[in-house]
Amino acid sequence: MKKSLKSILALTLALVMIVGLVACSNDSSSTPAPAAGSGTSEPSDDAPLASDGLIHVSMYYADNPTLPWKDDWLAAQKTAEICGLELEVEAIPSAELGTKVSLALNTQQNCPDVILYQTTKGENASLALNGAIVPISDYADWTPNFNAYVEKFGMQEEVDALALADGKRYYMPALTDTPFFDGGLIMREDYLKNKGFDDPKTFDDLYNILKAYKEDYPDSYPLTHLVAPYVTNRMTMTSWGVSFGKSSSSGTGALSWDYEKGEYFTGAISDQAREFLKYMRKLADEGLMDPDIGSGGTIDGDVWSNKMATGAAMATYAYYDQIGGVEAASEIEGFKLQMYPSLEGPAGAHHQPKSRTGAGIMFPTATSKRDDFEQIVRAIDEMFYSEECAKIWCLGVEGETYTMDGDTIVYSDEIQNAPDGIYKYMQVKYGCGADPVQQVWILDQELSKYDENYAEINAKVAEMGDVIQAIPPTPLFDDMTAEEAATLQTPLADQIWIWMDAFVYSGVNGASEADGVGLRDPNNDADWEAYVQTMKDLQIDEFCQMYNDNLPK
Amino acid sequence: MQKRYRTAENIIFDTIVYIVMIFVLIVCLVPFLYMIAVSFSGMKPLVNNEVFLWPKDFTLESYKTIFTYPNFFHAYGNTFIYAFGGTAIALVMTSLFAYPLSKSFLWGNKLITKMVVLTMFFSGGMIPTYLVYSSLGIVGTRAAILMPFAINSFNLIILINFFKGLPVEIEEAALIDGLGYFGILRRIILPLSTAGIATIGLYYAVFFWNDWFNALIYLKGSQYPVMLFLRNIVNGTMAIADGNGSAEKTTMAISLKSAVIITSTVPIITLYPFLQKFFVKGLTIGGVKG
Amino acid sequence: MAKKPALTAEEKVARRRSAKNHFRRYWVLYAMMVVPVIYYIVFKYLPMFGSVLAFRRYRPGMGPFGTEWTLRYWERFLKDPAFWSALRNTVITSVSNLVINFPIPIIFAILLNEVRAKKFKKVVQTISYMPRFISTVVVIAILNELLSPSSGMINQLIVAFGGQPIYFMNQSSWFRPIYILSETWQFTGWTAIIYLAAITSISPDLFEAAEMDGASRLQQIWYVTIPSILPTVMVMLIMNVGHLLSLGFEKILLMYSPANSGVSDIIDTMVYRVGLAQQNYSYATAIGLFSGIIGLILVTTSNAVSKKLTGESIY
Repeated sequence: MKKSLKSILALTLALVMIVGLVACSNDSSSTPAPAAGSGTSEPSDDAPLASDGLIHVSMYYADNPTLPWKDDWLAAQKTAEICGLELEVEAIPSAELGTKVSLALNTQQNCPDVILYQTTKGENASLALNGAIVPISDYADWTPNFNAYVEKFGMQEEVDALALADGKRYYMPALTDTPFFDGGLIMREDYLKNKGFDDPKTFDDLYNILKAYKEDYPDSYPLTHLVAPYVTNRMTMTSWGVSFGKSSSSGTGALSWDYEKGEYFTGAISDQAREFLKYMRKLADEGLMDPDIGSGGTIDGDVWSNKMATGAAMATYAYYDQIGGVEAASEIEGFKLQMYPSLEGPAGAHHQPKSRTGAGIMFPTATSKRDDFEQIVRAIDEMFYSEECAKIWCLGVEGETYTMDGDTIVYSDEIQNAPDGIYKYMQVKYGCGADPVQQVWILDQELSKYDENYAEINAKVAEMGDVIQAIPPTPLFDDMTAEEAATLQTPLADQIWIWMDAFVYSGVNGASEADGVGLRDPNNDADWEAYVQTMKDLQIDEFCQMYNDNLPK
Repeated sequence: MQKRYRTAENIIFDTIVYIVMIFVLIVCLVPFLYMIAVSFSGMKPLVNNEVFLWPKDFTLESYKTIFTYPNFFHAYGNTFIYAFGGTAIALVMTSLFAYPLSKSFLWGNKLITKMVVLTMFFSGGMIPTYLVYSSLGIVGTRAAILMPFAINSFNLIILINFFKGLPVEIEEAALIDGLGYFGILRRIILPLSTAGIATIGLYYAVFFWNDWFNALIYLKGSQYPVMLFLRNIVNGTMAIADGNGSAEKTTMAISLKSAVIITSTVPIITLYPFLQKFFVKGLTIGGVKG
Repeated sequence: MAKKPALTAEEKVARRRSAKNHFRRYWVLYAMMVVPVIYYIVFKYLPMFGSVLAFRRYRPGMGPFGTEWTLRYWERFLKDPAFWSALRNTVITSVSNLVINFPIPIIFAILLNEVRAKKFKKVVQTISYMPRFISTVVVIAILNELLSPSSGMINQLIVAFGGQPIYFMNQSSWFRPIYILSETWQFTGWTAIIYLAAITSISPDLFEAAEMDGASRLQQIWYVTIPSILPTVMVMLIMNVGHLLSLGFEKILLMYSPANSGVSDIIDTMVYRVGLAQQNYSYATAIGLFSGIIGLILVTTSNAVSKKLTGESIY
């Protein structure tokens, strides 16, 4: 008996020690941070200021495999140094960032001091109104650099519009002086030249070009999709005056914004939507558009790139900085891609809407309990919005990554000759121009990372007027309405996705009757009515009403 | 040992058995071979669908890319810590609980077993669980992975039943010899149960190896396991800020995905042949009883 | 430990004495349970208080246990067509999965046991486990690659034989077959371990006796192997039935796309979507609690039935 008692004691002890050891070995390196986050009553832990005079700040970064966070990024190191910050960055996989932020804000425990790349849409709005996020607009005195850029860009109104129902704004958005035309219709310029086509202006022009290519290369599908058809859709349907489906501008998948009346309408079941779907159907039926809509919802990047490079396709909606890669991969002689301004449709020529404010910086309420909260806010403001730092986030450090030749920016040879382009290279190597961290975007500076051609296209687009419309306002829901709206939204968005695929691809893919909604044609009145009725049964009208009733004044 | 009965029926039966086994072999192996071939292939043959089970345009490019990712090896190390540490703790805890629960004469035994079964169906949800872990002070430490998953109710029940199936006579003899119950567990039951222990040990190891969600929620960035890294690469589409939230721009190359899959899976697969020794040993010992 | 009517004083004394004896004899066993029981209380039961959220309204940032009592979430899910469709999908997918994937590992284990060539047996065994070692994320990635309409191996074969490529991962009609077959692929070898362990512990004498009696291999399987592993089979069956409502959630979530949502939305994915994507924690908790109750009823029933029929039970 005694022996077994001893053994049990020994075992329990051993177990406790194992656990303890593991916890400790780990604690030695990382205890301060969790304590700082949870410590409403123990501010003493929060100020490792003493020794080096640096402010210790923990931060979430939206990490992405194509742009992984590196602690030694020049831009991050330099700006932190300037502002006296000691950064502890947690790189959270971008797909899971929402979960992690939600937990941190909901529990206010183990919170980072600063969260990057956030807005107050969706749950964040409720969290903010219930006191989980610092209303940064109340601390305007501490953010002089941010205020200065807002004024410089003349964006006061847009920034004020980000306030929630209580009139307070809860994050500092990224600021853009002019929205860029960074992606759009990309086509084989060499083919157009050879065949004597002018640059396309309308969707009819596009149709004619695709048709000609199909005749020359019957095995091809001239227009192909990057990632999935919805990328093509969201960049084109605005020319019909609607934006619905995945990643559409309202973010609902179902509603569109009426820019004249200033209200939402049921875009997904509008006549404009039907016309758009008819056009896409025509492309699909005649074999002008790729029937490959991917496996599990996405098309592999290299499959897409290969189709373009081998001539299996000649047109696509994609991003300018991707042109280089495709051109390099092609063995076709004279292969040249060009990006074209948005084409004109029934509602004019429009690209996908963009806002001049982007996702930005947020402070959880726990941070405001720290004694050095003011210093933190001031330092963060300086790190991301001061003229000096904003420039570093865009261009890097003068003398290291670039030099000034009069007024023009000259990048170092290493950057200049980077195989994947200046923009991409600077992002990955130095962290300059990384979306989650750069907060001030100035078109002239950005253009220096691209060739002259890109500047010309942007100039052309700017001349055309309102090609890039503003993103519609987000309604100010209270908790209860937000809950209801969310419940209505998912089934609507899902059904719209299914019907869109059915409307466009019923004539080509191996879609079967048994599948989802069966074979449908937007040209057929009965099919269209069935679709509209389905949406009405899912309460699309009530959903729209909910949005309009809660628009910010 | 046994005499063969070379009847027609038995020969046909044998043939069928072998055909089935060879089919199983092929089905289980081909996806792995395909992934390996893809991970070593160049981009051109890949996109032209020329790669099947043998790499074409052999290249190590994908592996080079992975190995230059910041934190890849660090994450790998973390995974090893969780898989080994977690499994060790789990095995100790589970056998410690399973043994008394296999004794149906103990009072409260039934009640406790029922309470255990209950936990298989109800959980508190993410936020309450997080708050409990957080108030224990383990969030953001490796203990958040090593401790909470120490007993899996399913594995526990398997082990209880395994223990129940062991012969009682040996135990009784040991009790008469003056060995305490703890001694019996350690010296008799556990050695007799190598097969059972190895089985659930493997279950635990695989769980810890593949878990990413708990790691995501309870750990800090520097403690993330390689599975989270893998998930980011396999599922991650390059998202760019596109006004309304973000929009997908491109996906990772398939050769890169395959390379990550291979590198993160090979260690746990190679673990098995080592464990198999225990299996065989355990199985033969288990077979002696009668 | 059957229930007894009131005890006489004598019996009480006897009981107390026997209790004393009982603890003196077995205290080590009770002591062993202390740490695990504490573990269960802390890590499994404490968080369970969160289930009150099913009856309380959760408001983000205002306390983990909600702000006021309400039954609206129960009303809502009773009226929610999405819930009933999810329940139906769960049951259909789950039952078909059970019918197909429950017997397969048993058959595989029995057949594998019949392989006489030791080396070959070992190789097959090792390789058949391999799929279980890879994570679900990877399984889905492999599926996507193999079934891709443009580059997948399967579709290349179909095209080579003159067929049209099939959009396996986008079509709802293919969802269940793919799910079930991928489960077969992942778990057959693995689950067979348990049965193999059971088969190996059958006394060789039994087989020898059967062989003496002139039983063929098939007859040996039928009269010796299967009855001997029946207890294990029953335990596994009870567990599986109890888990009818919880399918391989992560896998379905990864296979989920709006295009197949008609058949792929199951209770667990719905809880996930409602809770994490729509941040309606209360509603998600209510659904989760409901599916837990159903699971408990299922396992209790099947346990009782099994106890009656075969004498086997898990508690």
